[in-house]
Amino acid sequence: MLTSLSNLAAAFPMNGIDIAFYVVAFVMVVTAILTVAVKNILQSAVFLIFSFVGTTILYLLLHAEFNALAQIMVYIGGVVIFVIFTILLTSHLGEDAFTTKIPRFFAAFVLSIAFVVVMVKCVLPVPELLTATATAPEGFASLKAMALRLLSYGPEGFVIPFEVISILLLATLIGAITIARRGKEEK
Amino acid sequence: MFVPSITNPVGDFVREWVPKLAEYLPASIQSDTLNSIVAFLINAVICVIAVCLVNIGSAPILIYMERKVCAHVQCRLGPMRLGWHGTIQTIADVLKMLFKEVYAPAGVDKFVFFLAPLVVLIAPFMVAALIPFGENLVVADIDMGIPLIIAINGFGVLAILLGGWSSNNKYSLLGALRSGAQMISYEISFALVLLFVVMVAGSTNLMAITQTQSGTVFDWWIFKAPVLGFIAFIMFFITSTAEMNRAPFDIAEAEQELTGGYHTEYNGTPFAMFYLAEYIALVTNSSLAVTCFLGGFHAPCIGIAAVDGILTMVPGVVWFFAKVFFMIWCYMMVRWTFVRPRVDQLMSFEWKFLLPLNLLLLVAGAAYVALVG
Repeated sequence: MLTSLSNLAAAFPMNGIDIAFYVVAFVMVVTAILTVAVKNILQSAVFLIFSFVGTTILYLLLHAEFNALAQIMVYIGGVVIFVIFTILLTSHLGEDAFTTKIPRFFAAFVLSIAFVVVMVKCVLPVPELLTATATAPEGFASLKAMALRLLSYGPEGFVIPFEVISILLLATLIGAITIARRGKEEK
Repeated sequence: MFVPSITNPVGDFVREWVPKLAEYLPASIQSDTLNSIVAFLINAVICVIAVCLVNIGSAPILIYMERKVCAHVQCRLGPMRLGWHGTIQTIADVLKMLFKEVYAPAGVDKFVFFLAPLVVLIAPFMVAALIPFGENLVVADIDMGIPLIIAINGFGVLAILLGGWSSNNKYSLLGALRSGAQMISYEISFALVLLFVVMVAGSTNLMAITQTQSGTVFDWWIFKAPVLGFIAFIMFFITSTAEMNRAPFDIAEAEQELTGGYHTEYNGTPFAMFYLAEYIALVTNSSLAVTCFLGGFHAPCIGIAAVDGILTMVPGVVWFFAKVFFMIWCYMMVRWTFVRPRVDQLMSFEWKFLLPLNLLLLVAGAAYVALVG
């Protein structure tokens, strides 16, 4: 028993980053469960924010600063605010309890079990999961390196996907304006 | 064992001195790990104290200043009776507010109701940690300064929406929805003006942006990029006023229409936190304007060696706060001078005027960088 415990301690080297990871992971799991368990839908949105903040901290622990900021900008500053706006503009949605029917519950159960099985199947065969060291060079995910990679023409660069995405975003922006404008004219 | 370290000059100083002091300890408990942990804890405490000192310490000063500026604009004297020129009045008001009973009205969602005042303080405190107050005085000297500021501002909208909804009051909900729409709209212009600064300065690090403005007054970004810098400064001033929900863009509160808006139902400490967040936002936005446009902690040198010698003798932090208080005074004068626009006027001003102008400014900035910089 004791030897197995010491083996476990050797397998999980506990330094500051590891402790931080487990704390954040625990908080994330708890808030994610609360998001679906809480009756009030606005409180669900609030717990979803906490869960997203946990994801941000995980990105920071992995030294992916730009991903962390994008997480805050897109999910907390964008998605959750629009979720809350939708709740506020929908009358009485936030005040009543929110229930789902039983068949949906079973489907969700089966789906989540399947997801866990797939994740375990994918993660466990990776060799040296615990002992592997980071191979990316210093500052690989920093803002400057990332921007240079996004806009460079070479084999390492992503300038064509970047431009394609910007055209897509422009198209959606123009589409949104067109839809909003047509509604106004009909009125 | 990995111990996080705080990378700023004060942190380096502490890291240098802790091992020297640790030599006086018994040899058995000396170790590098202990030293680094102690140094980290000391640095963390210094950082927390620094941010709290700037934020919470400036709030009473600003409240007193706002009352005096307001009074003199309206040909009154303002608080005069308690202490010399009413200086103790603010402390008395803060004490009164702190000792009030905290309660929630009937029918509110208590969890969200008491969470909102906590969320509203996140953004101002985090932004204050990024500002370089002096050459060696910056809590977090990180490369992601401006993107972090843009990202973290979303928490302010969130707090106002949550607070307004959970109050179970139609005035609060109306105020919250109005202010949510306003802040989301003006956030775009706010971010774009900051991106203009990033583009001409060539860095997102606030310390590096300040360092690009060393030299004379004409090296500050408000003058260095001819005309463009001044336009960008004015636009930053307008959008940050709207971001802070201050008059003339205070349609979120609008006492005459909404009896106070999203914080109508709050009292005691939670109300004090909303109030505090507003004043800290004033300090952080002024600091941001000073850092990005007015040369940060650099002295306003004018290119004459004798005058510059005297001006640079004053420490940078004094210049920084002098400029910040000048900016705050400007915000206050604007607040008490201009009238409040209607909601639809406010929105069309942002979407039909500020945003296109901002995009033009970005293009012009790119041309400036390509041709001159």
